[in-house]
Amino acid sequence: MDSLLIELAKLRRDANLTESIQDVDKILEQLEAARESIVQDPNSASFTLAKLQNPLKHGFDKVNEDLKRVHKGQSAYGRALDKNLPHKELPFDIDGLASRPALINRAISMHLLREGQFQVASTFLDEAQENPPQPSPMPGTPNFSEMDETEVPSLKSQELQDKFSNMYAILNELKAQNLHPAIEWARANSHELEKRGSNLEFELSKLQFVWLFLGPSVNGLPNDLNNGLSGALVYAQQHFQRFQARFLKDIQQLATAMAYSSNLKDSPYYRTFDIETAWDDVSTSFTREFCSLLGLSAESPLYLAATAGAIALPTLLKLYAIVKEKRTEWTTRSELPVEIALPKSMIFHAIFVCPVSKEQTTDQNPPMIMPCGHVVAKESLQRLSKGGKFKCPYCPGESILSQAREIIL
Amino acid sequence: MADHITSKLNPDSHLILDQPLLRLPFELLRKNFKVAHLNVEKESTALKSTLRETANASLNANASPDDVLKNVDSMIARMRGLKRKLTACSEEENRLHQQSQSRIRHLGELYGMQSLDDVKYEEWSRTRLDRLLVDYLLRYGYKESAAELAQEKGIGELVDVETFVQMSRISESLRGGRVTEALAWCNENKKDLRRMESKLEFTLRFQQYIEMIRTQDEQKLLNAISHAKKYLLPFKDTFPGEIQQVYGLLAFPPGVGPDPYAELYSDSRWSDLSNLFMHTHNSLLSLPPVPLLHIALSAGLSALKTPSCHSLHTPSSTASICPICSTELNDLARPLPYAHHTNSHVDNDLKLLPNGCAYGKGRLEEYARKAGLETGWYKDLRSGEVYRCEEATTVYIT
Repeated sequence: MDSLLIELAKLRRDANLTESIQDVDKILEQLEAARESIVQDPNSASFTLAKLQNPLKHGFDKVNEDLKRVHKGQSAYGRALDKNLPHKELPFDIDGLASRPALINRAISMHLLREGQFQVASTFLDEAQENPPQPSPMPGTPNFSEMDETEVPSLKSQELQDKFSNMYAILNELKAQNLHPAIEWARANSHELEKRGSNLEFELSKLQFVWLFLGPSVNGLPNDLNNGLSGALVYAQQHFQRFQARFLKDIQQLATAMAYSSNLKDSPYYRTFDIETAWDDVSTSFTREFCSLLGLSAESPLYLAATAGAIALPTLLKLYAIVKEKRTEWTTRSELPVEIALPKSMIFHAIFVCPVSKEQTTDQNPPMIMPCGHVVAKESLQRLSKGGKFKCPYCPGESILSQAREIIL
Repeated sequence: MADHITSKLNPDSHLILDQPLLRLPFELLRKNFKVAHLNVEKESTALKSTLRETANASLNANASPDDVLKNVDSMIARMRGLKRKLTACSEEENRLHQQSQSRIRHLGELYGMQSLDDVKYEEWSRTRLDRLLVDYLLRYGYKESAAELAQEKGIGELVDVETFVQMSRISESLRGGRVTEALAWCNENKKDLRRMESKLEFTLRFQQYIEMIRTQDEQKLLNAISHAKKYLLPFKDTFPGEIQQVYGLLAFPPGVGPDPYAELYSDSRWSDLSNLFMHTHNSLLSLPPVPLLHIALSAGLSALKTPSCHSLHTPSSTASICPICSTELNDLARPLPYAHHTNSHVDNDLKLLPNGCAYGKGRLEEYARKAGLETGWYKDLRSGEVYRCEEATTVYIT
């Protein structure tokens, strides 16, 4: 891209329209001078005009030369553009969404709301309501419009906006290092959080304890009995009781650390009290749990999907070229024909590929565990068995079909 | 064996969705140049001949000094007009240069990133999503939302609000039954349309013809015939089928004709025209025919989708919620293919609970600890059922 930037700089410097304007100006000046001398001496008109013909022609020649240079510069830049960003045909055939704009609109509204773009979201909801999108599948693209006949579930946008504005309000308080609203929320939802195996409420309370413990020089709160060592102690007495069953060890640790309050830096508890990343960490955990309780993923799905798409496209493009060349169709509509490598952060589910059939297991063809502990897909198992009996392909174990059990991974 | 996890970032192949970003300002730059060139050509021819004629007339004493002066004044006025037009082109040129520079810089940032896990990549990719969203909104005519989002995110240089606003102004006028704006656009882009062998202008003229016939007014019918002679018949070799209909339509007033003719009177032709215009407009400017968001999402939804995303089994309650399982995209992803995998990836050290659910030992232990269970007990991550550790058996994944 750097070389393209240089080409562009050349274009801007050497091949722009400014000179042609200057040369037009010169012609204009000559015309005005000629007019002046005709006004001065009407009898000289024919002479003045005859004398003007050549300069006018030259003037326009000059303008045309200027334009030629611009054109040449643009062509050079165009070649550099082709070289730096070679044209690649996009696989429009894979557009499976053209027939379902209502669902895309819903996904966009939810994205804007979760990103806190409430103003844009409300403009968009108005515009989309006024002008509902028309499905526009292109010839050759899959058409799923019949599926849209069942109405798109309505988006309770106001409700969602209220929830997300609450989330942003709490996040803002966290940014201002005020934990109370977050702790309150976690306490109100402690049952659901516990079910998720989240210890958010305790993490927040623990940070509050540490925050008080570090005292006015760090937290900037008033230097009184509610701050510093005594404040932390009071806080612990008031709030840690409810965590004792689950987090006894952590609480003991915090309590012991108090003994080191004078030289915390050299104590074994230093790390507990190092809160450099703690605020960001609790903000992230809070966002994740908040979204989870709404049944939504922590990161915007639209962001993840668009990013995954950009990562997948080069591979799909290669495949698309092959398919096009061989004039074949993709063999299956239920599964992509190639494997696409994604970053670890984009893998969310357990994947089980049957070692016999090499197929992924599904609800219809679930993984089955044999008494020996090995797992294959149900269809493979049925193919392996002879008269209800079969031998495990991975160990000497023999068993009967009824002993194999479906498992959920 | 293909690896299913990667964080490798190859900027050259990664920039597939971003081609129009640099392509469009370049096409506009060329178009702008053509406008400038055309004006210079027109004015120079006119000026040279006016000057020659005026000089001759003056020499032969055919023109009064007043007439001569009037002609000189008109030449000066034309020249000032040319200067004004060129100045406008120059301003547009400058804007496009500036825009290209910002866009090249934006794409260039990708070359400074180490991997897909780079925080800078995340930021970049978010901007890309915003660009794709603005593009989508503009293509569906949601101008206000698009402009607000672009403003809010400060990406004005990276999106093409003006181009699309102009486009939707014309496409909306077509939907409303007006061809004037679209015909003016055809006139501006005459040469390119001819090179593309575009059918747009012919179709617009045909529609004008249909509208005249529709009135069944005698004078209008006569006008229709001369309109056809002027604009449609010259294309009898290019579009023989349509020319047949042009003749035939005279015999079938609205409401009586058999199907191909009845259809010509249909209102839906206006939205077809509008679509044809947008399609022509986009290919003229090297813009993709569909919103790039569709392409990115189609690929991305499939790459992320697993058989579990639309499974009857609920996912374990502790896992982070998958984007495809999340409400936003779940229905959208339903008909799309799921990702292909050649290798299993499951938790290490899988333990099977008596209820048929299997989890990694580490996750079971952590969940039990967080749930405050005594050691020696596991709790199911989905149902919350509690089991003794001895009841869990080992699962071997090969």
